[in-house]
Amino acid sequence: MECPQKSGKAIELMMSYTAGTLEPEKQIELERHLPICEECRRAAADRKAIWDALDVWRPDAISEDFSARLYRRIAEEEAAPAWRKLLRMPWGSLFRPAVPVAAACAALAIEFIVKDPLIHRHSTTTLPQKISIEQVERALDDMDMLKQLSAPAPAEGRASERI
Amino acid sequence: MKFGHPAVASGEALSPQPSASERVREDMAAVASLERDAELMLRVREGDEASFSALLDRHRAAVIHFLYRMVQNQAVAEELAQEVFLRVYRSRSTYEPTAKFTTWLFRIATHLALNWIRDGKNEKSQESLDQGTAEGATRQVADRLRTIEQEMVYQARLAEVRQAIEMLPAKQRAAVLMHKYEEMDYSQIAGVLGCSESAVKSLLFRAYESLRARLAHMS
Repeated sequence: MECPQKSGKAIELMMSYTAGTLEPEKQIELERHLPICEECRRAAADRKAIWDALDVWRPDAISEDFSARLYRRIAEEEAAPAWRKLLRMPWGSLFRPAVPVAAACAALAIEFIVKDPLIHRHSTTTLPQKISIEQVERALDDMDMLKQLSAPAPAEGRASERI
Repeated sequence: MKFGHPAVASGEALSPQPSASERVREDMAAVASLERDAELMLRVREGDEASFSALLDRHRAAVIHFLYRMVQNQAVAEELAQEVFLRVYRSRSTYEPTAKFTTWLFRIATHLALNWIRDGKNEKSQESLDQGTAEGATRQVADRLRTIEQEMVYQARLAEVRQAIEMLPAKQRAAVLMHKYEEMDYSQIAGVLGCSESAVKSLLFRAYESLRARLAHMS
């Protein structure tokens, strides 16, 4: 077996070995390797020391009335009015697909409202813009120019067109 | 406990490790157990309350012990465990055996524990490790076989272990507790935590390294 320290698999191997979850074949290989590799032996010993330390923590006794209390709560829930039962239902699992769909619809609605020109046109919330005198003069000049362009052409112009 | 386990120092393998045949027998028993859980829960779905009681009896201790080590308060652990089984009961009509029952069970338990830790309630109600509590007295009464000195050493070591676990980030704590005390494999822990197996291995590696740093002197 290639040394786990060199193959880069030491950590995972030692965790599984210490936990007793290593595949039987790998366990046999590792146990053959340990006597000849001090580094792996020390790593395994370190892991086992932690494992043994954690074994110190044994759980406390469970309350004798745990199950009785649970059954009482279940009975109370079962006897509750229908509306209260509805509140306790696992709505999350039912609404889970609906939430993103609703969010997508809301986003589309907002997009539509923001970009819809009709809504902009009818909007009465536009603020009055400050118009400068130069803008007014420019607009009047443009209007004059447009008037001249739309007026009938003078005789000289017509004569030149004929040519 | 001495550094350099005698068996390891002499070149022998760490013992005891289960043999290959023992492992196979354990695996077959585990598979049968998992199928039994799904079968019971399907019966609960059909309205069989006795099956719910059977599931409760099978898993109550594991869930409470896991929650206790997560929140380090027996009363809170039992309250959270009640909520776990209540949620299982409420979800009975929509249960589908798409995952292992224990994965689902511990997913609910981990979710509740992480929420409780996140909400910071442990600051208000966590029993002090330095104070004697009624539960501590119970432990001492149960371990009268130890001498007083042995009991003091045991309590000191226990306090260190509990503190080292408590100092782990919540997800690392959950991963270690499931790996060490519930003997779950990487894939099941990944199913509980909702992450990849490689993420679980990373969590465990960092957690065990932190524990090694804090508990090395105990060896």
